[in-house]
Amino acid sequence: MNDLSYLIYILVVIIGSIVGLLISYKKHGEPFIFNDMDSISVIIAIIGWILLFNYGLFVSIIGFISAMIIISIALFLVTLVIGMRPGYGRKETLIGIVISAMLWFISYMLV
Amino acid sequence: MINISYNSFLVIDTMNLMANVLINVVIAFLLGSLLLGLHRKIMARIQLRPGPPVIQHLLHSLKFFFKETSFPKTASMPFYVSITCLYCAIWILAVIIGPVTYGTLLIIFAIYAVYKIVEHNAGSSSGSPYGKLSCVRAVFSAAAEIPLFAVLAIIFLQTGTINIGDIVTYQAVHGPLIFSIPLAALVFFILILSKSPYSPFSITKGKDIISGFETEHFGVLRGYMMLSESIAWYVLLWVFLTVFFGPLSINGYLIGMVSITAITALINATTPILNPNHSVMSQITLAIVGIGGSLLLMFIV
Repeated sequence: MNDLSYLIYILVVIIGSIVGLLISYKKHGEPFIFNDMDSISVIIAIIGWILLFNYGLFVSIIGFISAMIIISIALFLVTLVIGMRPGYGRKETLIGIVISAMLWFISYMLV
Repeated sequence: MINISYNSFLVIDTMNLMANVLINVVIAFLLGSLLLGLHRKIMARIQLRPGPPVIQHLLHSLKFFFKETSFPKTASMPFYVSITCLYCAIWILAVIIGPVTYGTLLIIFAIYAVYKIVEHNAGSSSGSPYGKLSCVRAVFSAAAEIPLFAVLAIIFLQTGTINIGDIVTYQAVHGPLIFSIPLAALVFFILILSKSPYSPFSITKGKDIISGFETEHFGVLRGYMMLSESIAWYVLLWVFLTVFFGPLSINGYLIGMVSITAITALINATTPILNPNHSVMSQITLAIVGIGGSLLLMFIV
Protein backbone atom coordinates (compact mmCIF):
# COMPACT_ATOMS: atom_id res chain seq x y z
CA MET A 1 0.00 0.00 0.00
CA ASN A 2 2.85 2.31 0.85
CA ASP A 3 4.58 1.57 -2.47
CA LEU A 4 1.29 2.05 -4.30
CA SER A 5 0.74 5.53 -2.85
CA TYR A 6 4.33 6.36 -3.76
CA LEU A 7 3.58 5.25 -7.36
CA ILE A 8 0.40 7.36 -7.43
CA TYR A 9 2.35 10.44 -6.30
CA ILE A 10 4.97 9.91 -9.01
CA LEU A 11 2.25 9.47 -11.66
CA VAL A 12 0.50 12.64 -10.46
CA VAL A 13 3.78 14.57 -10.61
CA ILE A 14 4.40 13.37 -14.17
CA ILE A 15 0.85 14.12 -15.35
CA GLY A 16 0.96 17.56 -13.70
CA SER A 17 4.29 18.37 -15.36
CA ILE A 18 3.08 17.25 -18.79
CA VAL A 19 -0.17 19.23 -18.51
CA GLY A 20 1.73 22.30 -17.25
CA LEU A 21 4.20 22.05 -20.12
CA LEU A 22 1.42 21.71 -22.72
CA ILE A 23 -0.62 24.60 -21.29
CA SER A 24 2.37 26.95 -21.04
CA TYR A 25 3.52 26.21 -24.59
CA LYS A 26 -0.02 26.77 -25.85
CA LYS A 27 -0.22 30.05 -23.97
CA HIS A 28 3.33 31.25 -24.68
CA GLY A 29 4.54 30.22 -28.12
CA GLU A 30 6.90 33.18 -28.44
CA PRO A 31 10.67 32.60 -28.73
CA PHE A 32 11.42 34.82 -25.69
CA ILE A 33 10.36 34.82 -22.04
CA PHE A 34 7.88 37.29 -20.52
CA ASN A 35 9.05 38.53 -17.15
CA ASP A 36 5.60 39.53 -15.84
CA MET A 37 3.74 37.18 -13.54
CA ASP A 38 0.68 35.16 -14.50
CA SER A 39 -2.08 35.63 -11.91
CA ILE A 40 -3.77 32.26 -12.58
CA SER A 41 -0.45 30.43 -12.14
CA VAL A 42 0.13 32.28 -8.86
CA ILE A 43 -3.28 31.20 -7.55
CA ILE A 44 -2.72 27.56 -8.62
CA ALA A 45 0.76 27.55 -7.03
CA ILE A 46 -0.52 29.06 -3.76
CA ILE A 47 -3.42 26.57 -3.51
CA GLY A 48 -1.11 23.66 -4.37
CA TRP A 49 1.62 24.54 -1.88
CA ILE A 50 -0.89 25.34 0.88
CA LEU A 51 -2.50 21.92 0.38
CA LEU A 52 0.90 20.20 0.32
CA PHE A 53 2.31 21.90 3.41
CA ASN A 54 -0.91 21.79 5.44
CA TYR A 55 -2.50 18.51 4.36
CA GLY A 56 -2.70 17.39 8.01
CA LEU A 57 -4.74 20.47 8.84
CA PHE A 58 -7.14 19.85 5.95
CA VAL A 59 -7.52 16.16 6.86
CA SER A 60 -8.45 17.15 10.42
CA ILE A 61 -10.92 19.80 9.16
CA ILE A 62 -12.49 17.72 6.36
CA GLY A 63 -12.66 14.29 7.95
CA PHE A 64 -13.85 12.21 5.01
CA ILE A 65 -10.97 12.98 2.62
CA SER A 66 -7.81 10.90 3.03
CA ALA A 67 -4.36 12.50 3.17
CA MET A 68 -3.35 10.64 -0.01
CA ILE A 69 -6.04 12.40 -2.07
CA ILE A 70 -5.12 15.83 -0.72
CA ILE A 71 -1.39 15.26 -1.34
CA SER A 72 -2.15 13.98 -4.86
CA ILE A 73 -4.23 17.09 -5.69
CA ALA A 74 -1.53 19.30 -4.14
CA LEU A 75 1.25 17.63 -6.13
CA PHE A 76 -0.77 17.96 -9.34
CA LEU A 77 -1.28 21.70 -8.81
CA VAL A 78 2.30 22.29 -7.68
CA THR A 79 3.86 20.44 -10.63
CA LEU A 80 1.41 22.11 -13.02
CA VAL A 81 3.25 25.37 -12.29
CA ILE A 82 6.78 23.96 -11.78
CA GLY A 83 6.49 21.89 -14.96
CA MET A 84 5.81 24.91 -17.15
CA ARG A 85 8.02 25.88 -20.08
CA PRO A 86 11.61 26.67 -18.98
CA GLY A 87 11.66 30.25 -17.65
CA TYR A 88 8.00 30.25 -16.55
CA GLY A 89 6.44 29.37 -13.21
CA ARG A 90 9.51 30.02 -11.03
CA LYS A 91 8.36 33.23 -9.33
CA GLU A 92 4.86 31.82 -8.93
CA THR A 93 6.28 28.70 -7.22
CA LEU A 94 8.42 30.82 -4.90
CA ILE A 95 5.39 32.94 -3.89
CA GLY A 96 3.35 29.76 -3.33
CA ILE A 97 6.07 28.26 -1.09
CA VAL A 98 6.50 31.45 0.97
CA ILE A 99 2.75 31.96 1.55
CA SER A 100 2.07 28.30 2.39
CA ALA A 101 5.09 28.15 4.71
CA MET A 102 3.79 31.23 6.52
CA LEU A 103 0.34 29.65 6.84
CA TRP A 104 1.89 26.41 8.10
CA PHE A 105 3.95 28.36 10.65
CA ILE A 106 0.90 30.33 11.85
CA SER A 107 -1.27 27.20 12.17
CA TYR A 108 1.61 25.39 13.95
CA MET A 109 1.96 28.27 16.42
CA LEU A 110 -1.81 28.40 17.04
CA VAL A 111 -2.18 24.65 17.56
CA MET B 1 -9.28 -28.37 4.03
CA ILE B 2 -5.89 -27.38 5.45
CA ASN B 3 -4.30 -27.98 2.06
CA ILE B 4 -6.86 -25.73 0.34
CA SER B 5 -6.30 -22.87 2.76
CA TYR B 6 -2.51 -23.31 2.48
CA ASN B 7 -2.80 -23.21 -1.32
CA SER B 8 -5.00 -20.13 -1.22
CA PHE B 9 -2.45 -18.40 1.04
CA LEU B 10 0.27 -19.38 -1.41
CA VAL B 11 -1.73 -17.92 -4.32
CA ILE B 12 -2.36 -14.67 -2.41
CA ASP B 13 1.35 -14.48 -1.48
CA THR B 14 2.39 -15.00 -5.09
CA MET B 15 -0.10 -12.40 -6.29
CA ASN B 16 1.14 -9.93 -3.68
CA LEU B 17 4.71 -10.56 -4.79
CA MET B 18 3.75 -10.07 -8.45
CA ALA B 19 1.94 -6.81 -7.64
CA ASN B 20 4.91 -5.67 -5.57
CA VAL B 21 7.33 -6.44 -8.41
CA LEU B 22 5.14 -4.61 -10.93
CA ILE B 23 4.72 -1.53 -8.71
CA ASN B 24 8.44 -1.37 -7.91
CA VAL B 25 9.52 -1.79 -11.54
CA VAL B 26 7.17 1.02 -12.64
CA ILE B 27 8.40 3.21 -9.77
CA ALA B 28 12.02 2.46 -10.72
CA PHE B 29 11.38 3.42 -14.34
CA LEU B 30 9.40 6.59 -13.61
CA LEU B 31 11.54 7.87 -10.75
CA GLY B 32 14.77 6.87 -12.53
CA SER B 33 13.63 8.81 -15.61
CA LEU B 34 12.72 11.86 -13.53
CA LEU B 35 16.09 11.73 -11.76
CA LEU B 36 17.95 11.50 -15.07
CA GLY B 37 15.86 14.43 -16.33
CA LEU B 38 16.81 16.38 -13.21
CA HIS B 39 20.45 15.42 -13.78
CA ARG B 40 20.28 16.90 -17.28
CA LYS B 41 18.50 20.03 -16.04
CA ILE B 42 21.07 20.68 -13.28
CA MET B 43 23.95 20.16 -15.72
CA ALA B 44 22.32 22.65 -18.09
CA ARG B 45 21.83 25.27 -15.36
CA ILE B 46 25.47 24.93 -14.27
CA GLN B 47 26.51 25.47 -17.89
CA LEU B 48 24.23 28.57 -18.05
CA ARG B 49 21.69 26.95 -20.40
CA PRO B 50 17.94 26.78 -19.63
CA GLY B 51 17.97 23.02 -20.29
CA PRO B 52 15.00 20.77 -21.10
CA PRO B 53 12.12 20.18 -18.64
CA VAL B 54 12.75 17.56 -15.97
CA ILE B 55 10.23 15.17 -17.56
CA GLN B 56 12.10 15.32 -20.89
CA HIS B 57 14.03 12.07 -20.29
CA LEU B 58 10.80 10.21 -19.57
CA LEU B 59 9.01 11.68 -22.60
CA HIS B 60 12.06 10.84 -24.72
CA SER B 61 12.00 7.21 -23.50
CA LEU B 62 8.27 6.86 -24.17
CA LYS B 63 8.62 8.50 -27.59
CA PHE B 64 10.96 5.75 -28.79
CA PHE B 65 8.30 3.09 -28.17
CA PHE B 66 6.14 4.71 -30.87
CA LYS B 67 8.93 5.32 -33.38
CA GLU B 68 9.56 3.11 -36.38
CA THR B 69 12.17 0.45 -35.64
CA SER B 70 14.74 -0.07 -38.36
CA PHE B 71 17.61 -2.54 -38.42
CA PRO B 72 21.10 -1.91 -39.79
CA LYS B 73 22.21 -4.20 -42.62
CA THR B 74 25.32 -5.08 -40.65
CA ALA B 75 23.40 -6.14 -37.51
CA SER B 76 23.90 -9.73 -36.35
CA MET B 77 20.35 -10.99 -35.84
CA PRO B 78 18.74 -12.12 -33.57
CA PHE B 79 21.54 -11.14 -31.18
CA TYR B 80 21.05 -7.46 -31.98
CA VAL B 81 17.42 -7.57 -30.75
CA SER B 82 17.83 -10.01 -27.87
CA ILE B 83 20.60 -7.97 -26.25
CA THR B 84 18.19 -5.09 -25.56
CA CYS B 85 15.75 -7.55 -23.95
CA LEU B 86 18.60 -8.89 -21.83
CA TYR B 87 19.58 -5.32 -20.87
CA CYS B 88 16.02 -4.72 -19.67
CA ALA B 89 15.69 -8.12 -17.98
CA ILE B 90 18.84 -7.81 -15.84
CA TRP B 91 17.82 -4.47 -14.36
CA ILE B 92 14.25 -5.66 -13.71
CA LEU B 93 15.87 -8.61 -11.91
CA ALA B 94 17.93 -6.09 -9.93
CA VAL B 95 14.70 -4.37 -8.81
CA ILE B 96 13.34 -7.74 -7.67
CA ILE B 97 16.54 -8.58 -5.78
CA GLY B 98 16.84 -5.06 -4.31
CA PRO B 99 13.74 -3.04 -3.35
CA VAL B 100 11.27 -5.96 -3.56
CA THR B 101 12.94 -8.84 -1.70
CA TYR B 102 16.02 -7.27 -0.01
CA GLY B 103 18.04 -10.20 -1.34
CA THR B 104 21.74 -10.73 -1.64
CA LEU B 105 24.18 -8.10 -2.90
CA LEU B 106 26.12 -10.80 -4.74
CA ILE B 107 23.35 -11.10 -7.33
CA ILE B 108 23.39 -7.31 -7.82
CA PHE B 109 27.17 -7.62 -8.30
CA ALA B 110 26.57 -10.38 -10.88
CA ILE B 111 23.94 -8.21 -12.60
CA TYR B 112 26.45 -5.38 -12.88
CA ALA B 113 29.00 -7.78 -14.37
CA VAL B 114 26.41 -9.01 -16.90
CA TYR B 115 25.53 -5.36 -17.62
CA LYS B 116 29.12 -4.72 -18.70
CA ILE B 117 28.86 -7.76 -21.01
CA VAL B 118 25.56 -6.40 -22.37
CA GLU B 119 27.24 -3.04 -23.11
CA HIS B 120 29.99 -4.92 -24.92
CA ASN B 121 27.62 -7.09 -26.93
CA ALA B 122 25.15 -4.31 -27.76
CA GLY B 123 28.09 -2.42 -29.25
CA SER B 124 29.43 -5.32 -31.26
CA SER B 125 26.07 -6.70 -32.48
CA SER B 126 25.18 -3.62 -34.54
CA GLY B 127 28.29 -3.81 -36.72
CA SER B 128 28.78 -0.05 -36.47
CA PRO B 129 32.35 1.25 -35.95
CA TYR B 130 31.06 3.48 -33.11
CA GLY B 131 29.44 0.47 -31.45
CA LYS B 132 32.62 -1.52 -31.96
CA LEU B 133 34.74 1.16 -30.24
CA SER B 134 32.23 1.31 -27.41
CA CYS B 135 32.36 -2.48 -27.18
CA VAL B 136 36.15 -2.41 -26.74
CA ARG B 137 35.81 0.37 -24.17
CA ALA B 138 33.18 -1.66 -22.28
CA VAL B 139 35.83 -4.34 -21.71
CA PHE B 140 38.27 -1.67 -20.50
CA SER B 141 35.72 -0.14 -18.15
CA ALA B 142 34.62 -3.57 -16.88
CA ALA B 143 38.21 -4.11 -15.78
CA ALA B 144 37.91 -0.96 -13.68
CA GLU B 145 34.28 -0.98 -12.52
CA ILE B 146 34.17 -4.57 -11.34
CA PRO B 147 36.99 -3.83 -8.82
CA LEU B 148 34.93 -0.83 -7.70
CA PHE B 149 32.00 -3.14 -7.02
CA ALA B 150 34.39 -5.42 -5.10
CA VAL B 151 33.78 -3.01 -2.23
CA LEU B 152 31.16 -5.61 -1.25
CA ALA B 153 34.00 -7.53 0.39
CA ILE B 154 34.54 -4.64 2.80
CA ILE B 155 30.82 -4.54 3.58
CA PHE B 156 30.92 -8.29 4.27
CA LEU B 157 33.98 -7.96 6.53
CA GLN B 158 32.31 -5.15 8.48
CA THR B 159 28.81 -6.59 8.83
CA GLY B 160 29.40 -10.35 8.45
CA THR B 161 26.63 -10.61 5.87
CA ILE B 162 26.02 -9.90 2.20
CA ASN B 163 22.24 -9.90 2.48
CA ILE B 164 20.67 -6.43 2.04
CA GLY B 165 17.98 -7.07 4.66
CA ASP B 166 20.60 -8.15 7.23
CA ILE B 167 22.82 -5.16 6.38
CA VAL B 168 19.87 -2.84 7.06
CA THR B 169 19.26 -4.60 10.40
CA TYR B 170 22.99 -4.27 11.24
CA GLN B 171 22.82 -0.54 10.54
CA ALA B 172 19.67 -0.13 12.64
CA VAL B 173 21.74 -1.42 15.59
CA HIS B 174 25.26 -0.07 14.87
CA GLY B 175 24.49 3.10 12.87
CA PRO B 176 24.92 3.78 9.15
CA LEU B 177 27.91 2.16 7.43
CA ILE B 178 28.96 5.47 5.84
CA PHE B 179 30.46 6.43 9.23
CA SER B 180 32.28 3.13 9.84
CA ILE B 181 33.54 2.46 6.28
CA PRO B 182 33.53 5.87 4.53
CA LEU B 183 36.19 4.92 1.97
CA ALA B 184 34.08 1.98 0.82
CA ALA B 185 31.14 4.38 0.39
CA LEU B 186 33.39 6.68 -1.66
CA VAL B 187 34.36 3.78 -3.93
CA PHE B 188 30.70 2.88 -4.45
CA PHE B 189 29.95 6.53 -5.17
CA ILE B 190 32.65 6.50 -7.89
CA LEU B 191 30.82 3.51 -9.40
CA ILE B 192 27.56 5.49 -9.41
CA LEU B 193 29.41 8.46 -10.92
CA SER B 194 30.78 6.18 -13.65
CA LYS B 195 27.23 5.11 -14.52
CA SER B 196 25.82 8.66 -14.64
CA PRO B 197 25.35 10.36 -18.03
CA TYR B 198 28.19 12.62 -19.30
CA SER B 199 30.41 11.35 -16.51
CA PRO B 200 34.21 11.74 -16.79
CA PHE B 201 34.35 7.92 -16.59
CA SER B 202 31.54 7.07 -19.05
CA ILE B 203 33.90 6.13 -21.84
CA THR B 204 31.46 3.65 -23.39
CA LYS B 205 29.01 6.44 -24.20
CA GLY B 206 31.50 9.25 -24.86
CA LYS B 207 30.37 11.75 -27.48
CA ASP B 208 33.57 11.11 -29.44
CA ILE B 209 31.90 7.82 -30.43
CA ILE B 210 28.42 9.41 -30.93
CA SER B 211 26.35 7.43 -28.40
CA GLY B 212 28.61 4.41 -28.13
CA PHE B 213 26.80 1.07 -27.98
CA GLU B 214 23.41 2.82 -28.26
CA THR B 215 24.22 4.55 -31.56
CA GLU B 216 22.72 1.94 -33.88
CA HIS B 217 19.65 0.92 -31.87
CA PHE B 218 16.45 2.61 -33.04
CA GLY B 219 12.75 2.72 -32.18
CA VAL B 220 11.47 0.22 -29.65
CA LEU B 221 14.96 -1.21 -29.08
CA ARG B 222 16.23 2.23 -28.07
CA GLY B 223 13.13 2.63 -25.90
CA TYR B 224 14.03 -0.58 -24.05
CA MET B 225 17.58 0.68 -23.60
CA MET B 226 16.42 4.00 -22.14
CA LEU B 227 13.93 2.22 -19.89
CA SER B 228 16.73 -0.03 -18.62
CA GLU B 229 19.02 2.97 -18.07
CA SER B 230 16.41 4.66 -15.88
CA ILE B 231 15.83 1.48 -13.85
CA ALA B 232 19.61 0.99 -13.51
CA TRP B 233 20.09 4.52 -12.17
CA TYR B 234 17.31 4.04 -9.61
CA VAL B 235 18.63 0.64 -8.51
CA LEU B 236 22.22 1.82 -8.08
CA LEU B 237 21.09 4.81 -6.01
CA TRP B 238 18.78 2.59 -3.98
CA VAL B 239 21.57 0.08 -3.26
CA PHE B 240 23.98 2.87 -2.27
CA LEU B 241 21.49 4.52 0.07
CA THR B 242 20.29 1.25 1.59
CA VAL B 243 23.73 -0.23 2.12
CA PHE B 244 25.50 2.88 3.45
CA PHE B 245 22.77 5.03 5.01
CA GLY B 246 20.84 2.43 6.94
CA PRO B 247 17.09 2.08 7.25
CA LEU B 248 15.55 5.04 5.44
CA SER B 249 11.98 6.25 5.03
CA ILE B 250 10.56 6.89 1.56
CA ASN B 251 11.23 10.62 2.02
CA GLY B 252 14.79 9.76 3.03
CA TYR B 253 15.27 7.77 -0.17
CA LEU B 254 13.80 10.61 -2.22
CA ILE B 255 16.03 13.25 -0.64
CA GLY B 256 19.06 10.96 -0.94
CA MET B 257 18.41 10.13 -4.59
CA VAL B 258 17.85 13.77 -5.54
CA SER B 259 20.99 14.85 -3.63
CA ILE B 260 23.24 12.20 -5.22
CA THR B 261 21.82 13.03 -8.66
CA ALA B 262 22.54 16.72 -8.04
CA ILE B 263 26.10 15.99 -6.85
CA THR B 264 26.87 13.78 -9.88
CA ALA B 265 25.35 16.43 -12.18
CA LEU B 266 27.62 19.07 -10.60
CA ILE B 267 30.69 16.86 -11.07
CA ASN B 268 29.76 15.88 -14.63
CA ALA B 269 28.96 19.44 -15.70
CA THR B 270 32.36 20.71 -14.58
CA THR B 271 34.66 17.88 -15.65
CA PRO B 272 35.55 16.77 -19.17
CA ILE B 273 35.30 13.11 -20.20
CA LEU B 274 38.59 11.33 -19.59
CA ASN B 275 40.64 9.47 -22.14
CA PRO B 276 39.77 5.71 -21.81
CA ASN B 277 43.21 4.86 -20.39
CA HIS B 278 43.08 7.68 -17.86
CA SER B 279 39.51 6.82 -16.91
CA VAL B 280 40.36 3.16 -16.25
CA MET B 281 43.55 3.99 -14.35
CA SER B 282 41.75 6.59 -12.20
CA GLN B 283 38.98 4.14 -11.36
CA ILE B 284 41.41 1.32 -10.53
CA THR B 285 43.53 3.70 -8.40
CA LEU B 286 40.44 4.86 -6.51
CA ALA B 287 39.31 1.24 -6.04
CA ILE B 288 42.72 0.19 -4.67
CA VAL B 289 42.97 3.24 -2.38
CA GLY B 290 39.35 2.79 -1.19
CA ILE B 291 39.47 -0.94 -0.57
CA GLY B 292 43.06 -0.96 0.76
CA GLY B 293 42.38 2.08 2.96
CA SER B 294 39.19 0.52 4.34
CA LEU B 295 41.05 -2.71 5.17
CA LEU B 296 43.84 -0.77 6.87
CA LEU B 297 41.32 1.28 8.87
CA MET B 298 39.48 -1.89 9.90
CA PHE B 299 42.67 -3.55 11.14
CA ILE B 300 44.02 -0.44 12.87
CA VAL B 301 40.79 0.79 14.54
